[in-house]
Amino acid sequence: MSAVLRRLAVYFLAAWVAITVSFLLPRVVPGNPVAGAVARASQSGNCNSQCVLAVEEQLGFDVHKSLWDQYVEYIGNLSHGNLGHSWSENAPVGSLILSYLPWTLAVLGLATTISFVAGTTIGTFVAWRRGSWIDWIMPGATFFQAIPYFFLALVLVLIFGQTGTMLRWLPSLFGYDIYTVTPGFNGPYISSVIAHAILPVATVVLASIAGFLVAMRNQVITTMDEDFVLMAAAKGLHTRTVIWYAARNALLPVVSNFTIAISLVVSGQILVEIVFNYPGIGYHLNDALGKLDYSLVQGIFVVITLIVLAANLLADVVYVLIDPRARQIA
Amino acid sequence: MTIAPTSLTEVAPAGGPGSVAFHRTRILRLPRSPKVIAGLVIMGLFGVVAVIGRWAAPYSPNATDEKNWVQHVLVAGTGPGTPFPANYYPLPLPPSAAHWLGTTVFAQDALSQVLASTQATLFVGLLAAAIATVLSVLFGVTAGYVGGGTDEGLSLVANVFLAIPGLPLLIVLADYVPSAGSSILLVGAIIAVTTWAYSARTLRAQTLSLRNRDFVEAARVSGEGRLRIIMVEVLPNLVPIVAASFLFTTLAAIGAYVAIAFLGLAGSPTSYPPGLWNWGEMLREGFANNAVRGGWWWWWAPPGIAVALLGTGLALLNFGIDEFINPRLRSAGLSRKAARKAGISASSRLGLTPVARSVWDAPSPASKVAHASAADPVLEIRGLCVDYGVGDDAVHAVMDCDLVLRRGQVLGLAGESGSGKTTLALSAIRLLRPPGVITAGQVLFHSKPISGDGPTGTIDLLAAGQRQLREVRWSEIAVVLQSALDSLNPVITIGAQFDDLLRVHRPHLSHDERWNRAGELLEMVGMNADRLRSYAHELSGGMRQRAMIAMAIALEPQVIILDEPTTALDVVTQREILEELIGLRDRIGFATLFITHDLSLLVELADEIAVMYAGRLMERAPAASLFHAPRLPYTHGLLHCFPPLHGARVAMEGIPGSPPDLRDLPSGCAFHPRCRWAMQRCSEERPQLAQLNGSDREVACWLHAGDAVVPAELAQPDPASRRPERMDAATRVSEL
Repeated sequence: MSAVLRRLAVYFLAAWVAITVSFLLPRVVPGNPVAGAVARASQSGNCNSQCVLAVEEQLGFDVHKSLWDQYVEYIGNLSHGNLGHSWSENAPVGSLILSYLPWTLAVLGLATTISFVAGTTIGTFVAWRRGSWIDWIMPGATFFQAIPYFFLALVLVLIFGQTGTMLRWLPSLFGYDIYTVTPGFNGPYISSVIAHAILPVATVVLASIAGFLVAMRNQVITTMDEDFVLMAAAKGLHTRTVIWYAARNALLPVVSNFTIAISLVVSGQILVEIVFNYPGIGYHLNDALGKLDYSLVQGIFVVITLIVLAANLLADVVYVLIDPRARQIA
Repeated sequence: MTIAPTSLTEVAPAGGPGSVAFHRTRILRLPRSPKVIAGLVIMGLFGVVAVIGRWAAPYSPNATDEKNWVQHVLVAGTGPGTPFPANYYPLPLPPSAAHWLGTTVFAQDALSQVLASTQATLFVGLLAAAIATVLSVLFGVTAGYVGGGTDEGLSLVANVFLAIPGLPLLIVLADYVPSAGSSILLVGAIIAVTTWAYSARTLRAQTLSLRNRDFVEAARVSGEGRLRIIMVEVLPNLVPIVAASFLFTTLAAIGAYVAIAFLGLAGSPTSYPPGLWNWGEMLREGFANNAVRGGWWWWWAPPGIAVALLGTGLALLNFGIDEFINPRLRSAGLSRKAARKAGISASSRLGLTPVARSVWDAPSPASKVAHASAADPVLEIRGLCVDYGVGDDAVHAVMDCDLVLRRGQVLGLAGESGSGKTTLALSAIRLLRPPGVITAGQVLFHSKPISGDGPTGTIDLLAAGQRQLREVRWSEIAVVLQSALDSLNPVITIGAQFDDLLRVHRPHLSHDERWNRAGELLEMVGMNADRLRSYAHELSGGMRQRAMIAMAIALEPQVIILDEPTTALDVVTQREILEELIGLRDRIGFATLFITHDLSLLVELADEIAVMYAGRLMERAPAASLFHAPRLPYTHGLLHCFPPLHGARVAMEGIPGSPPDLRDLPSGCAFHPRCRWAMQRCSEERPQLAQLNGSDREVACWLHAGDAVVPAELAQPDPASRRPERMDAATRVSEL
């Protein structure tokens, strides 16, 4: 149990650090962040006087409260789920984020699942048939692994997207067709949502699959040197059972390294949403940055951190479930 | 993600020939593989461009080609005849002789921008990686070496940083630090803060394992200062991992820089204060100016491809380091070309040791062993040769070995480690791993199933395919390896492993029947049937080996190969398990190939013993004869390096020197440099295994050929009884 509590403590601490950093930073950096921010924003014509006021209050500029009081108030609000008020949308940040979240979570969940399952499966196969032509997949995977997510998104838009210039097969702008369908539980809306999700999901899958593939391949190769895999072959088990013995064990370190993977995927998806104008939290983070809506920026940052921490926790739970040795400790 | 976690935590090199011993100080020597060379070439190219790119660029990245620029193209759906006022947009120029990569929408030369951008992009990547690496080494080494509360605290900090998603944190940092955009130093530092934790954690784990190594312990005991130990003993051993971390972090930092530049947070060359040209900025401008909608790929595709190429170069180098750290990742050692020439497939299939084509072409080797076919053989190995690798680099691990295992008997196979015992046994049943290749010989299995519906008749194991082998495996030939902990799958229960086995070989049994049968088997080896629910790590070493033996007899095989089954156990447990085995043998009647380096153990168990040296069989005799009257100097040496458990006390002599390197065998008899009776002839001609006149034993030694004088030690009279002294439980226990 103590191992689980320990992990929980780390996640709580991480959440606290993230929240505190996002609170403290604009208030303690040297220079005048408000003036700088306002100057940048007015250059782009995005900041009116209402905006300047909001920014000043948000960044704790010229507020007659001590830093500590502001902090206590901020944490207090957070603990009640109050993330502040967005001046640009004129709505509570919490409810705004709740409306963005389903888009992000759907794409993220679907893409990560596909990528993890397909990546580890292909990785196992590549390791198993090492020495054959399939080794040529590795340089390709390496190249794919190095492509920035948003660049891959741009390429997919160019080739397949309706806003691109080549095949124009799939919608590549917004979360659904905002001109012709009405959101709600109706057929056209649902099919539009599905069609609009294909390219973002495909981007995240293509960009992240190589990581899982390479990691799994290396693990399976390492595991295949273990005696118990040789024994599985010696027992005359079916080849698929022998592969399963190796893959099942190779999966453990891949799952325990999920932390880094999920962090990369979430970071990548933020930019992918921007490319597709996909109405998730990544797109709105960029939008809020441009509008200097700092309460929204902070809120989204905190929520993204929480999502990643939740995914980590999930990976920890899965790890305990699939490794009997960890189960014993936990 | 290119750094596999185990490659950083398990540094033990894989066993078998070809692996290098763990050096005290591991300097980074990259394998000269095509991957590493390609990586170096790519990195070198980018390095050159980074240095000279700004000056080599044909134009200034900001200069506008006013002459050819078409600035006024009417936006469709605007202007005369439409309800909208005329709206114009500028058009970038496609690639041409003047602009190889075309231009941006502002008629700036795209190639010049790509070239000029390389410097800042690479600089930020390397700078961030350098800062992050210094941070992670400081953190990791301190935490790992000092340990205790410091370790707890530092690890916590690293874990917290690791859990916070990097890019969002970076976005917030870059956005709030107002001058970040104009200072790439600041950008680099901010990126470093968000990327150091992973390497720190890895380095901590590695330092922790180094701290407990003997040489560090020795330095500590000899009173060296902590700082000195870290600098001299620990850091040099961390070099490969630090290098891997550095490359990984460079890749991550470039990705992060490009990403925040794409978001417009890293400063743009056109804003004030001006930032530097970088690939992310090019992508941002392209995206912001509808370069994707316009299909102007020449503008935004090159910087993206440049990022990917640079990343590939870094990752390829990382592969090289990975393979240095974790030799298992190196290709199986069978180069495809050489393998094809030898007529074998280089693709490694576990449990199907490749057999060279020449084996089929060669006439089946004539029986050199006169008495072998007389008795009832169950496994006949004839002229078996096994190499590691193919072509000129091949190591001959087993050479021309003949071995006959008779039904129901115990054949002992003895020799020092590295003599090829295990290679011989595993290759005979095609279980040898790559790069092992069978290059000559024949292995015949004469099957008469004890129970079950296994195949009958003679099976040529070297000619058998996967399916045919699977029928024989375990149901007729079972294997028990040295370490039972490694032989049992750690993540499923013992019961599930019995179940897998019985489901395949006894498909008619129901789930409950399989479970009951597994329970019976455990009870047969003195374990409680409840243990079926246990995992391997929950059992003691002796229990694990018992469970393995229970598994081995589950299908009542005709042959069990025991590869040092008790070496890892303490003497008492060893004894109990051997007794168990003998009892089971008497009950079921399987034949056993018993591999060990402990001759004294064999003499109590075996009917016949064969002694191996440097890949060849050197002596074979009935167990008692070999034990009491060895004819081979090597056997004599082996017998005198273990104290016998009973009988007269003899002086322990041991064998001077160490086993030979199989890649560089001595001429003549491979044992002659270590032999106290070596003659001139021994270094010139290799003795053949030949029958000693008038006996049922064979030896390969010039002392017993021609008119050489046989030393008294090697001329003891053969004991009268051919049967070895059977192990009697009562006497054994009393002796302990």
